[in-house]
Amino acid sequence: MNEADIDADTNDRMLLQRMAAGDRVALATLYHSYHGRLCRFLSRLTRRADVIEEVINDCLWIAWQKAGDFRGDSRVSTWIMGIAYRCGLKALRQRGDEPVEDDNIPEDRIPSTHPDEDRELRDWLAKGLDRLTADQRVVIELVYGVGHTLEDVATIMGCPVGTVKARLFHARVKLRNVLPALAGDSITLKENVP
Amino acid sequence: MTFPMDTSQDCLRAWEAMPWVLQESAAPEQSEWLKGHLAHCESCRAEFNQQNRLRLAMSLPTDVRVDAHAGLQHLMNRIDASEHDATPYRMRAGNWLARGLVAAVLIQAIGIGALGAKLYSSGERPVYHTLSQPAAPVGAGAIRVVPDANMTLTDWDALLHTLHLQVVAGPNDVGAYTVALVNNPSNTEQTVQQLRATRGIRLAEPIASTP
Repeated sequence: MNEADIDADTNDRMLLQRMAAGDRVALATLYHSYHGRLCRFLSRLTRRADVIEEVINDCLWIAWQKAGDFRGDSRVSTWIMGIAYRCGLKALRQRGDEPVEDDNIPEDRIPSTHPDEDRELRDWLAKGLDRLTADQRVVIELVYGVGHTLEDVATIMGCPVGTVKARLFHARVKLRNVLPALAGDSITLKENVP
Repeated sequence: MTFPMDTSQDCLRAWEAMPWVLQESAAPEQSEWLKGHLAHCESCRAEFNQQNRLRLAMSLPTDVRVDAHAGLQHLMNRIDASEHDATPYRMRAGNWLARGLVAAVLIQAIGIGALGAKLYSSGERPVYHTLSQPAAPVGAGAIRVVPDANMTLTDWDALLHTLHLQVVAGPNDVGAYTVALVNNPSNTEQTVQQLRATRGIRLAEPIASTP
């Protein structure tokens, strides 16, 4: 955990303490802080915006109620992502949905500052993620998207570290075999410039 | 499990290290080692570039639009609703408890008041006598005397004075007095004989001390 992560976790813990005392401003701060990453994380399970919003609210509703019970065994972000993961699976089970991408690509995409690059990257990623199972997508999101360690991912998904390692390995192998060769070398090289 | 690259142990090690170097959670030595390996391994370098591209793609915001402000408002409404539901319940529970306590106190107060009023109005000594209650003390040499109803108070006083007697109790319901010798209690028997011989005394007898 680097210094920025430690600072972020310290800040999150303070917010939880305030929430435990009934401070709604702290809840609103935490909500906005986590909304983006929860949206992206849950979009690996479902493409339905209404379900994603419902799961985020379920997740932060639980965080609001259980803030005083947080023991600090893990980072706050690990705790919250774990709640979101379980809420997400539960919501999908209740609807009888499979946690897969559907073909209905939303028309109201979020505008980007670099629409061409983003679209290319999204298309490239979509080709790979389509071949993964839901659990493999979640592992890839947590490791590459959020930046969690293997131990964190195991805590979030409620499984052994070995299981996470296996899912990550298979996901990487699939992506390597499926994803086209680096047509976007220019982007990668650009990002590698210090 | 088949490794995707037909390479050496170093390439296996590089494959393992890539995600953690990319997310900057790897140890500095591991990062340095990978950097050195990539410098001369084209295959791993290509894989690392692809991994980096994957990280960039994964870090893009989701293209599913979810309104954070509306979502937060829904959450706040949910909290309001739950607190609203919980509060009347607590109030109802509190009301029932308070009402029960008040009723119990009132019943007790009424009962205590009624008992007090009954005791106050009766005002009589109990007619019964318990074994634990001490008997009225009767001095040694006490004598029970029943004077005639026609005996005057003057004659009665004179008699008491003559025989050195003092009334210690009575008269009771049948007109009996308890008298005792003032100076010499040992002369009880003689005094009894004198009382019996006195005109106007219907009964005179020594009172045996209580066992």
